[in-house]
Amino acid sequence: MLLQRTFEERTSALYRQGRISGSLYDGLGQEAVAAAAGLALEDGDVVAPLNRELATHFARGVTPADAFRNFLGRGNGPTFGRDGNMHFGVPARGVFPLVSMLGNLCPVVVGAALAFKRRGEPHVGLTFLGEGAFSVGDVHEGLNLAGVWQVPAVFILQSNGYSYSTPSSAQMVNTNLAERIQGGWSIPATRVDGTDVLLVFESIKAAVERARAGEGPQAVECVTLRGHGHAAHDDARYVPAELRESFVGRDPIERLEATLQQTGLAEQANAIRRAVVAEIAAALAEAEAAPAPDPATMEYGVYANPL
Amino acid sequence: MRSDERVFLLGEDIGHFGGAFGVTAGLYEEFGADRVIDTPIAEEGFVGAAIGAAWQGERPVVELQFADFASCPFDMIVTVAAKTHWRSGLAVPIVIRAPNGGGIRGGPFHASSPEGWFVGVPGLKVVCPGTIEDAYGLLRAAIEDDDPVMFFEHKALYRRLKGTKPPEETRTPLGRARIARSGSAATVITYGAGVELALGLEHDVEVLDLRTLWPLDREAVLDSIGRTSRALVLQEAAHSAGVASHVLALLAAEGFELLDAPPVVLAPPDTPVPFAPELEDAYLPSAHVLAAAVEDLLGY
Repeated sequence: MLLQRTFEERTSALYRQGRISGSLYDGLGQEAVAAAAGLALEDGDVVAPLNRELATHFARGVTPADAFRNFLGRGNGPTFGRDGNMHFGVPARGVFPLVSMLGNLCPVVVGAALAFKRRGEPHVGLTFLGEGAFSVGDVHEGLNLAGVWQVPAVFILQSNGYSYSTPSSAQMVNTNLAERIQGGWSIPATRVDGTDVLLVFESIKAAVERARAGEGPQAVECVTLRGHGHAAHDDARYVPAELRESFVGRDPIERLEATLQQTGLAEQANAIRRAVVAEIAAALAEAEAAPAPDPATMEYGVYANPL
Repeated sequence: MRSDERVFLLGEDIGHFGGAFGVTAGLYEEFGADRVIDTPIAEEGFVGAAIGAAWQGERPVVELQFADFASCPFDMIVTVAAKTHWRSGLAVPIVIRAPNGGGIRGGPFHASSPEGWFVGVPGLKVVCPGTIEDAYGLLRAAIEDDDPVMFFEHKALYRRLKGTKPPEETRTPLGRARIARSGSAATVITYGAGVELALGLEHDVEVLDLRTLWPLDREAVLDSIGRTSRALVLQEAAHSAGVASHVLALLAAEGFELLDAPPVVLAPPDTPVPFAPELEDAYLPSAHVLAAAVEDLLGY
């Protein structure tokens, strides 16, 4: 969580300084979901994160330097400078590269889970769906296929209240996604406070293990509030003050720190904070020193087997 | 499927029923429901699932019941399958088989030749066999290839072409056109059902079977025109919708000085495929219209 928060505070500053091009997305307030989902997975499991889930990458072994290289468009980054910001993945770490078109990754992860089931391998595929994606046909097709095929796929529903500027209430009649996924596709679903990282981890871990045990697809809805706008250009002025106030005191990192203090682990928490700040600074320095992509290499890799 | 456990099939009614055109008949009985998977009507979903399975090392082959339905999983094909290797290094070895073409009174939703939607898309390979040997050889090569391949099969050829199964080791290399018949007065550049039509010509024309529509075998086109100096592109896709424009662009840019006459496109008009026999017969390129077009080209 702290790696994601610290990384994103850094990229936010870099963006304002004009050192990051294009768009910038962050997951302020949703780090518990991203971290817990990543940590709930085991070796051999695969995941397709979206824009708010940087901590999932880190939990799977993607390094902050990898991520910085992508944000900075470096030639040796995960997308070789061909894509930016959160639009990346590291297949060698079991992380599928994010695709902007919402919903696309739902059937893709179902297909990965189908491969595991066909081969009898004890792995799961996990992906995230926000309220925005929930309006896309791909998601309905993917959930249906997951149910029909009974594959080990886990869907984490990121209910952060908005897709871009449009509140959930303007996108769907029933905003309880867990209820819809359970009632509509017969996929077991639980609904939890997405700012309580221990609860989120416990819930996602249980879902992952049920899927791994052959109980078919599973879902966990994590209720949060998107801390920033859709992207860095969006000041989120459309979010009503009452809604914002209802999330005061529910920062997932502050909540965990309070728990750690109560359990006498305050010193360890501070040590982690110092280590994270140092790690992020070192990763940024490494990425900034990396070479820019060479335009002469632009056409490399269009095909795996060029003709 | 016998030689590679990773190969499995996804599609509508391909299992016990054997597919709308019977292409997968017998496979369900031999390989079972785990490798011949009947899907719900969810093309975006099962093409996406094929991509996910390919991510995990499988070699899925998807059947679209009609090529017209390629509009449904279009996003998954051009957004996810086509761009993934370039932007991450992850190969997506999937084959999407799709029956295209008219002649069965299918009308606007079951007779299209939409291969042009995919021609020009970086990261995709687009294939369309015109012979039994290539139907086998290209399919084997496409399944073994590490890139996403759109594999168009002209549905009229399913029954019209008769022959025996080519030898097991037959492979038709992707990206290579074939001179189906040598000739000297002009070149008919075509593919799919156009090959058979062009081979019926009595003129001294070369017939170049493109076989792979994208990436285009530019050298083969230019080599042939270098010998014949006249070009006619024959396609069943609507005039402005297919590979013909790419061939003409190539000839204009790199073959201009080879040409003795303006290149000709013989293709249906820019409309959807009509249903009524009188309309569809007039719409599709026919032997006598092709012969007349060749006469005009030779007489220029």
